[in-house]
Amino acid sequence: MARALLRITTRCCSPLYAPSSLPSRLRSHGLPPTLRFPSLSFSASAASTSSHGPSSGKEEEEDDQGKYENYLGMTDDELMAQCDMGTFKSSGPGGQHRNKRESAVRLRHHPTGIVAQAVEDRSQHKNRSSALSRLRTLIALKVRRPINLDNYTPPVELLQILPLKSTIRSKDVGSQIGPNNIKFSPGMQALLDLLFAVEGSVSEAAKILGLSTGALSRLILSDDSLRAAANELRASKGLKPLR
Amino acid sequence: MLSLSARPILLPKPRLRRLLLPRPLSAATASALTPPTPRTPTTAAPADPTPLFLRPPTHPVPPAALEAFRRRAAALVPPSAPHLHRHLRWFLADASTPDHLLRAPLDELEALWLAHVRDRRPFQYVVGNEHWGGLVVAVRDGVLIPRPETEAVLDMVRAVQGFEGGWWADLGTGSGAIAVAVARMLGPHGRVFATDVSEVAVQVARLNVQRYGLQDKVEIRHGSWFEPLEEVKGKLMGVISNPPYIPTGDLPGLQPEVGWHEPKLALDGGKDGLDHLLHICEGLSSALKPGGFFVFETNGNKQSEFLVDFISTKWSSSFRNVEAVLDFADIKRFVRGYRR
Repeated sequence: MARALLRITTRCCSPLYAPSSLPSRLRSHGLPPTLRFPSLSFSASAASTSSHGPSSGKEEEEDDQGKYENYLGMTDDELMAQCDMGTFKSSGPGGQHRNKRESAVRLRHHPTGIVAQAVEDRSQHKNRSSALSRLRTLIALKVRRPINLDNYTPPVELLQILPLKSTIRSKDVGSQIGPNNIKFSPGMQALLDLLFAVEGSVSEAAKILGLSTGALSRLILSDDSLRAAANELRASKGLKPLR
Repeated sequence: MLSLSARPILLPKPRLRRLLLPRPLSAATASALTPPTPRTPTTAAPADPTPLFLRPPTHPVPPAALEAFRRRAAALVPPSAPHLHRHLRWFLADASTPDHLLRAPLDELEALWLAHVRDRRPFQYVVGNEHWGGLVVAVRDGVLIPRPETEAVLDMVRAVQGFEGGWWADLGTGSGAIAVAVARMLGPHGRVFATDVSEVAVQVARLNVQRYGLQDKVEIRHGSWFEPLEEVKGKLMGVISNPPYIPTGDLPGLQPEVGWHEPKLALDGGKDGLDHLLHICEGLSSALKPGGFFVFETNGNKQSEFLVDFISTKWSSSFRNVEAVLDFADIKRFVRGYRR
């Protein structure tokens, strides 16, 4: 019972599920103003650390994976190696003077500048893994990778989060992965990449994914953070938000 | 200070419900500073010295009753202390099992929560543990609760060449947190000798050593600083200590959780806070083997600067690479160095 309570409370505190209920400290740290959706234009793609332009030759195409780093495909250790880990600094004399947990973990992902943090557990270890999974979600939401629509095939991570009725989804993709699954993030990232490539048009994206516009809308609306990111993207293209 | 831990608690049970009704919380909402006089200590250590989280879950509770308790307990949390909601979650996690068994009767849990919120009894004493350095360290009244700053000592030990095979001493081990965490990093030949003058500390430290199955690696010895270590003198690869370092005059101004509830024996460093640190410094050169390492925690900047200067001038022929090390708040919290 207590465990269940703990789980529920943790979820409520998580920026992934209820961004608006976050304490302001978390929110302001989580989305530094200068980093708010840095990826909404091709030229300023936060994912690209190289100076390559859009792909123009065969050699470049082979290089695609390296050019737009697949952060979400990395193991926790690899991703961690790209991060600075800090704990929250306390004021005052500290040491024996204070009784205060300092297990909070703050991760700053160098290549993208994205910051993720977790405070809700006593163990720094657990906070680190929560922060890391939050980082994965934030990367999915913020880092846009260009897509060439002419020869686009949706990656398997994206197929996995689509409803079964999608006509481009074959049986071997398996059952649909929902927002609570850790594998949802890579699919969400690919979906936002596609939505970005079609200028925010849900109907265009739905056509490519073999879904009705309604079905894709429902998928986007099924997760608060995905909906918020999609709507921000649509707003930047002058489109009305999905509801 | 030893008497604190032994004081039995006899709470009038019928009053508890009334006590738990929400009412304005003057003490709990106060600033972190200790008011001039502590409120009457209504809460001494519980009768059962076994830390709550280690007691057998033998008290069934209907889910609805537990939920009602959770709501009552949450209602006691003042808006000024939102972190107490987090504590409540941890409290329930430590005090109950998923199949609705409690490690103490609900009445006792109510009293424990009240003691935390109203009397500022440290959360760690309430549940009987602190998560520290990757361990769950058992604690109870009478031993210092390990501080997060001190975790940095473990990294410093790990950075000593050949630390795995050495003999280490942890002076004033308290709960045994440092001793246990260091022992877990050692190889088959490494050992830790941990001393403490407090009998409660010796008991708690032994419990922690046992909980981590390190009886073969850690020896807890009763006595003051180097006293119980005569026969390992000159053989130690390292000496670690987090001795009392708070100047006596600062004790009344401590945060209530600390000043009212933690043992003075583990906090009071004398007039300048340096009494025990200097005593330890005096003993270092005969305790360490040549090339041996030492690190101790201090009250911060001034103390560290003084000690670095003191050691490197007074004993320049005995020690090298003596320096102050910053904690995560950029305070010069530690002094470390090597014996020549």
